[in-house]
Amino acid sequence: MAIKFNRVDFKYQGFDNKGYLALSNINVSINAEGEFITLIGETGSGKTTLVQHMNALLTPTSGNVTIFGLKIDQENIKKKKFRLNPIRQKVGLVFQFPEYQLFEETVLKDIMFGPKNYGVDEATARERAIKMIKVVGLDESYLDRSPFNLSGGEKKRVSIAGILAMEPDILILDEPTSGLDPLGRDALLRVFNDIHQKLNKTIIVITHDMNTVYEYAKRVLVMRDSYLVYDGDPHTLFSKKNIENWNLDIPDIINLLHHLEKDFNITFPKQPQNVDELLTMIEEVAK
Amino acid sequence: MKNIVIGRFIPGNSFLYKMDPRTKIIALIILMISAFVLRGFMNMFIALGLILLLLLLGRINIIRVIRGLKPLMFLLLFTFTFQILFNETGPVLIVFEQEASWTLHYSWLNILAVVGVVFFWFFTRRFVRFRLLYLVATLVGSIALLINLQLGYVFNTGDLTIHQNAVETGFFIMMRLIIIVTLSTILTLTTKPTDLNLGLESVLKPLKYIRINTEEMAMIIAIALRYIPTLLDEANKIMLAQASRGVDFSEGKMKDKVMQIVSLLVPMFIISFKRSDELANAMEARCFVPGNPRTRLHQLAWTYADTITIIISLMALASVITLRVVGINV
Repeated sequence: MAIKFNRVDFKYQGFDNKGYLALSNINVSINAEGEFITLIGETGSGKTTLVQHMNALLTPTSGNVTIFGLKIDQENIKKKKFRLNPIRQKVGLVFQFPEYQLFEETVLKDIMFGPKNYGVDEATARERAIKMIKVVGLDESYLDRSPFNLSGGEKKRVSIAGILAMEPDILILDEPTSGLDPLGRDALLRVFNDIHQKLNKTIIVITHDMNTVYEYAKRVLVMRDSYLVYDGDPHTLFSKKNIENWNLDIPDIINLLHHLEKDFNITFPKQPQNVDELLTMIEEVAK
Repeated sequence: MKNIVIGRFIPGNSFLYKMDPRTKIIALIILMISAFVLRGFMNMFIALGLILLLLLLGRINIIRVIRGLKPLMFLLLFTFTFQILFNETGPVLIVFEQEASWTLHYSWLNILAVVGVVFFWFFTRRFVRFRLLYLVATLVGSIALLINLQLGYVFNTGDLTIHQNAVETGFFIMMRLIIIVTLSTILTLTTKPTDLNLGLESVLKPLKYIRINTEEMAMIIAIALRYIPTLLDEANKIMLAQASRGVDFSEGKMKDKVMQIVSLLVPMFIISFKRSDELANAMEARCFVPGNPRTRLHQLAWTYADTITIIISLMALASVITLRVVGINV
């Protein structure tokens, strides 16, 4: 188990001394290898707070999180010489808004910033930057540009490259596809899928797009009002009846499948993974 | 970062919250002037007691106000120490000159040693739990060093004498600062930024006659106040974002520290500029034209309570002036 949440509560401290409960009684374990997890839930349900616990940016108010063997709770965090920095190299977190992290003069320097903080030498960092800028779908000409003159989507990709260059074991992305055009979104998701499949790394993606969830995720976590209400595979999730109660909608492909089954009285042998699979299934039925 | 109290409104309901912002601003100014006119130990303590009473009646969390005073502590102790050391007027209160061991020796090496001690304090204070005590210990230690060390050529010696005026002035400065900051904290804690803006605008109205556009000034102040918490939250988010790229804000060498601050400041500036640009656009989209006469949704209403408050503050000022003129500086 790379990350293990044990009865985690988290409260944002307010001025009225009551605070806002963002996480309640979260128990979840995440492997360092081979997982593609999507985290869904309506806005304000605690998704971002949850992922910020995964690389120790936040400390649970009660309960504990164990990250790569390091137990993080209120007691340990107060100890001197308790170093959280190495964890953040292993668990890379890309924030929702790239504006919060871009600051260097050039894209190259900005991507090199993360690795250099972890003691990677100049040449290797440069090598990684050149590699990663291509991975996120931009070309090398971007490396000399200022990160502030890029478009929203390009900034997003640069910020993702900045985290990828740290070569984390687990990659967490907070709404990586918001503000991207459909083509760019698909390309980026394929990049994450590639990283997941080739390097067998765990990817955690926060998203609002159910199609993404259905097509890529092996495991889905659903947050609702600070509780983790679902932890399992997407097929089971979307065949549930009460899914609208969680303010989620059904992926287009499942919707279409339901309509086909209902209106034409066809029963399909299994749920298709993507459009191509659905097409072959329809072809078989039509024969 | 979230402990910064100055400039933050905290919701509540007591008579202080219901008061007209104009009253609060005028009363604040009157009471501030009173604090400066006031002399005498007893009087100062009475004034402080009255303010505590005001906090209690207004149901304001005193601990919160004290926490807001914390950043001032350094300044207060600093002025007090300097007054004690260098103010040499008035009757001598305590003399240490009879005993030879109390003589201060000024030599370059001694001063260097003191500077060293101060630097040591500056870099180690983070690791000490009782920082205020540590600061006092450092100050006392520096004086002790000056007394005991006689390194190199001593070009000047001075006796450590404490004069009455020094203690008085130091104490008064301290008390006045505490009173003023507490009063202004009460104002900002109990007044919504929008109300504060309205109040300031109408209080500053007379400035129009000397061609100062008070409406614009009030708008600038209101926007500045409004964005303090927002920018703090942004700063917090930026810190988290950079922390996940390996920036360690609590540790690191001096060279790294500079880079850390740059990595925090640049996004901060970019976001602030972007925000102000967006705000300007939003204001323009709602037909905001600077200088044009505007109507208000919330009109300020003057009540009896406000008149009474002003009268009480004026009475406080009057009594303070009387005390000063009559010469009761106990």
